[in-house]
Amino acid sequence: MAKISLNNVSVEIPVFDVSATSLRKLLLGSIGGQFNRTGGHVLVSALKDLSFEANDGDRIGLIGRNGSGKTTLLRVLSDVYPPTRGSVEISGRISPMFEATLGMSADATGMENIRICGMLWGLTNEQISQGLEDVVAFTELGEYLNVPVRTYSMGMFMRLAFAIATLREPEILLLDEVIGVGDAAFFEKAYTRLKSMARQSRILVIASHGERIIRDLCNKVLWLHNGALVEFGDVDRVFAAYKKEVAKSVAA
Amino acid sequence: MERIGVVMPGTARTREHSVIRNAGKRDPAGLDLYEGLMQWPLWTMLGWSDIRQRYRRSTLGPFWLTLSTGIFIAVLGVIYGRLLKMEISTFLPFFAVGYIIWSFMSSATIDCCSAFLESERIIKQIRRPFSVYILRVVWRNFAIFLHTAVVFVPVLLIFHVDTGFATLLAIPGFALVLINQIWIGLVLAMLNSRFRDVLQIITTLMQILFFATPIMYPAEALGDAAILAHINPVFHFIEIVRAPLLGKLPMAESWLVALVTIGLGFAAALLLFQRVSRRIVYWL
Repeated sequence: MAKISLNNVSVEIPVFDVSATSLRKLLLGSIGGQFNRTGGHVLVSALKDLSFEANDGDRIGLIGRNGSGKTTLLRVLSDVYPPTRGSVEISGRISPMFEATLGMSADATGMENIRICGMLWGLTNEQISQGLEDVVAFTELGEYLNVPVRTYSMGMFMRLAFAIATLREPEILLLDEVIGVGDAAFFEKAYTRLKSMARQSRILVIASHGERIIRDLCNKVLWLHNGALVEFGDVDRVFAAYKKEVAKSVAA
Repeated sequence: MERIGVVMPGTARTREHSVIRNAGKRDPAGLDLYEGLMQWPLWTMLGWSDIRQRYRRSTLGPFWLTLSTGIFIAVLGVIYGRLLKMEISTFLPFFAVGYIIWSFMSSATIDCCSAFLESERIIKQIRRPFSVYILRVVWRNFAIFLHTAVVFVPVLLIFHVDTGFATLLAIPGFALVLINQIWIGLVLAMLNSRFRDVLQIITTLMQILFFATPIMYPAEALGDAAILAHINPVFHFIEIVRAPLLGKLPMAESWLVALVTIGLGFAAALLLFQRVSRRIVYWL
């Protein structure tokens, strides 16, 4: 059984390289997060007092404007950001997929990259070997897998990255936007695969601006604004409220 | 069950697949180090791929270092031997060994400052023990060291260095040098993530230490000031490898200083890690 439980989680991120005043002038009001000054640096509150629970079968879509804390929340869920306040409890194997190209080395061949990335994702050699055939077939790259990745076109590169990323069998799948992959035909194939991966996982959390994707994949929506939870629940209900709010802010 | 344990052996998460993070609690530093060591397939692989990347399409690859180290040692060995009025057959092997070990210590130390910064993308996406990134850098520098260490073989043969059973002591000696780099790396990587001037400070410090440590001159040449060598742990770390390779037994004092440095160093590194490990990712 997989489970996620957040209790009053706050995340404050220190920003060191800009002077407090200029940063405040630059960003305040335009992007979410709030700035507090402590000591010599600025603290951005990226998440504020967030509590929610997710259990087996929950497929959660994260929505909210740029800077509302979606990525920060995903990083908390992937156990990368320790909460600065509150507590997080996660049971289940976590599989974050934020950047498909993570760990890929341009100078290694496609095959070598499959091994490198697989290992980085925590797969054992046997598991990589088991999944290898599937990845090779999925990329449709054939002989190209034996030449360095730097010779690939962007589309080929993304195919490989995507195939590698889907080598895992996550219990808790965390996605940050859906990556644009290659040509239209391959996109459909990738999207189908992503959907089946999402279905196989016990809990899915995906941040996206695309309503179609969220409606396709999710049965719940979590709406964030300025790092705080606005609404969490049924897809239609939260989307309706969210759209109303967006319309209001566009009109203003 | 089609689902099998997928994450690396040794992580707390794989064993029970669960994570609890409470703000204010600290992560045990020893566990991070232990889990990091257990993930050796990962950091050895990352380290190798770094080296391959660096020497991509170069004909000699890392052996350029063998060549440049060899030439440097030959030229400086001859000149400094003269300056110090020492027999070249004594001075050159002495300088060669000292310089090769020093190069490893110095490059691993400087390189470790950026250990977390260079792995920022990974750190912000997957939870792995922080020590993995330190071990990656130490390993990478060790691999480079092996390439430069080749230089010592002809030096030994040409100058008929009197090696014997004692020479084998160089192996545990070098093991201590390696272990020592891990705590140094951990401390510097943490400090440099927060205070980016650390790298500059360390680079400067390393240049000074090269001249302040008996590498290009024997400790005895310091005369009355020999104390300057004896209070310098770097000297002792070099000595526990250099002395046996030159067919001498290292001073007991050197072993003692090395062990104490490692003990205190790890204690300090782990204490610091425990204090700041939760914040490292926010500093990157």
